[in-house]
Amino acid sequence: MRSKRFEVLENRPVNQDGFIEDWVEVGLVAMDSKYDPKPSIKVANGEIVELDGKKKEDFDMLDSFIAKYGINIENAEEVCAMDSVKIARMLVDINITRDEVIQYTTAMTPAKAAEVVSKLTVLEMMTAISKMRARQTPSNQCHVTNLRDNPVQIAADAAEGALRGFDEEETTVGVARYAPFNALAVLVGSQVGRPGLLTQCAVEEATELTLGMRGLTSYAETVSVYGTEPVFMDGDDTPWSKAFLASAYASRGLKMRFTSGTGSEVLMAYAEQKSMLYLESRCVFLTKGAGVQGLQNGSISCVGVPGAVAGGVRTIVAENLIAMMLDLECASGNDQTFTHSDIRRTAKNLMAMVPGTDFINSGFSAVPNYDNMFAGSNMDAEDFDDWNAVQRDLKIDGGLRPIKEEEAIKVRNKAAKALQAIFRELNLTEITDEEVEAATYAHGSNDMPDRNIPADLKAIEDMMKRKITGLDIVKALYKTNFEDVSNSLFQLLKQRAAGDYLQTSAIIDENFNVISAVNDANTYHGPMTGYVISDERWNEMKKLNNLVKPEDF
Amino acid sequence: MNNEQLIESVVREVLNSMEKGITTKSTKQTSSNSNISIEDYPFGKKIPDKVKTHSGKKLSELTLEKAINGEVKNDDLKVSKETLDMQAEVAEKVNRKALADNFRRAAELIEVPDERILEIYGALRPYRSTKQELLDIADELEKKYNCKINSEFVREAAEVYEKRGRLKK
Repeated sequence: MRSKRFEVLENRPVNQDGFIEDWVEVGLVAMDSKYDPKPSIKVANGEIVELDGKKKEDFDMLDSFIAKYGINIENAEEVCAMDSVKIARMLVDINITRDEVIQYTTAMTPAKAAEVVSKLTVLEMMTAISKMRARQTPSNQCHVTNLRDNPVQIAADAAEGALRGFDEEETTVGVARYAPFNALAVLVGSQVGRPGLLTQCAVEEATELTLGMRGLTSYAETVSVYGTEPVFMDGDDTPWSKAFLASAYASRGLKMRFTSGTGSEVLMAYAEQKSMLYLESRCVFLTKGAGVQGLQNGSISCVGVPGAVAGGVRTIVAENLIAMMLDLECASGNDQTFTHSDIRRTAKNLMAMVPGTDFINSGFSAVPNYDNMFAGSNMDAEDFDDWNAVQRDLKIDGGLRPIKEEEAIKVRNKAAKALQAIFRELNLTEITDEEVEAATYAHGSNDMPDRNIPADLKAIEDMMKRKITGLDIVKALYKTNFEDVSNSLFQLLKQRAAGDYLQTSAIIDENFNVISAVNDANTYHGPMTGYVISDERWNEMKKLNNLVKPEDF
Repeated sequence: MNNEQLIESVVREVLNSMEKGITTKSTKQTSSNSNISIEDYPFGKKIPDKVKTHSGKKLSELTLEKAINGEVKNDDLKVSKETLDMQAEVAEKVNRKALADNFRRAAELIEVPDERILEIYGALRPYRSTKQELLDIADELEKKYNCKINSEFVREAAEVYEKRGRLKK
């Protein structure tokens, strides 16, 4: 006979999830593998000659790069010899400033950093995140994509996402050749919703850089690094090629961050028996060494792997924390779907939402789950009101705000019309009034009419051949009576000449003030310090759409 | 100051220096040739008259009106070497040396055309280039574009790729 209780439990969403026992030999283990190297470092003549148990002559590419560029050599031996528990305590001690802790954490080896964070509970990690994240003001990022790469819908969703409070918006493609239209649509839509917002288009590395150079995107993120040399090779890059790419972006005044995450190495079967966290720690050090301002990590597209092993979500929080310990901007994942359970996804997201990170989600899907071309997100457009309610329940700033239906309709319509005008002015494909209308009221691509895809692709090819730049878009918007959007886009282009948003953790507000870890450095050191929600922000967060007022009774 | 206060003060000093031991030796600042301070950041708002773009125009001269009537070209919106060097100084002043180094490599690369940047990136990917091809790129970067740091960086890559068997086969 079956227990009816167990039958009920079996049918709960959580039991559609995959859970797996640790398999240490292949690296299917969250942290603290017996095969992880013990932290060690030797410096001779100003050079690191031993790193985490390996002698210089045995260094692989990653070791060589990290040893040369990734570690503050001056304090390295001293810090490596320190008790890891002592450093772990410094991370949560409100009497020790972030500046002081950074002196230690940037002098660690990858194995030492993994060992230090392994001494913390998730609660302590969250406290450490409050203190160690680079920018004081937390923020959030969203995905704007759809199943059919419909640019009109992208523009409308980008405008609404901007209005809802996201500071960065990321698009990607279903069909690779659509990239320039998607980039253009998210750029224009974002500026209609909220001037100054930063946008990116996640595609193959060289294409992504080209879009940036042309002024169709403001930053890049999908520049992946991995924790073992064979997986790096499979990713078709080296630490040197990736570091060169980083400089190439900065040379064009474009913000960029790398991407990495636990689970990628074991998924690609080259974990070299190491734990996921140790390998991710190497990625973070490599990112630091490349001189990149930030990192998107927290497993990202491999989240199913740490999500399935014991302590996997804790490891994800730990890897975010390591990025912050190395003084990097951290876009903390909470990105791709990892569970069928609403309880599990909420629990996981709270680890970043409660303390606040540079970008809590990277990103939150601003479209319905079926339109998310990053394989769905931990949070989708259907969750906007839940998110707003949780912010209000706990008085935590998750980066969003409740908006009115009429406001959303207005900006969606304006964004679709602005894109329609640009397409006409630049002789791209036709955007019909019917499409503008549909995008204004749509929830997802099921609500949109079909587009002529071959015609779009031909126009995209022509647009790239003609080398249409951001400046051409500025002019087209101005000519078609979208002066305000034209000006926003122009101010955004000017940012790359100033270089201010290349500094760590930069976002740009609606008045084009750059807010970064330089002028908004995190000063948290206990209660009533650091980021404190202002009255103005609290009032905005509190105003849910369906509030009942006492006078209604 | 009475005796008790004096002792207390000395003890505090000693404790302070013990605690700060590790911090003090690494907070030294790299010397800089201009007078940029943290207060000048963000440049776009604080010192738009002092920031010149790649074409030599001042940031403050770049207006929407000029963009519309064609006076502002794409080149006017590009970051200059000088500006990136200034951002590198800001990064150094907040103890972000690796970031500053990246800005300095980037400052050199401004003169390398877009297409060539993409080609060099491609050549640095694994199994794409022979050692000689990488060394030639290093020479080109150094001699044609005056990219000294980047040329050393590419030479270093050539050595590592050779050692690790990642050159073109």
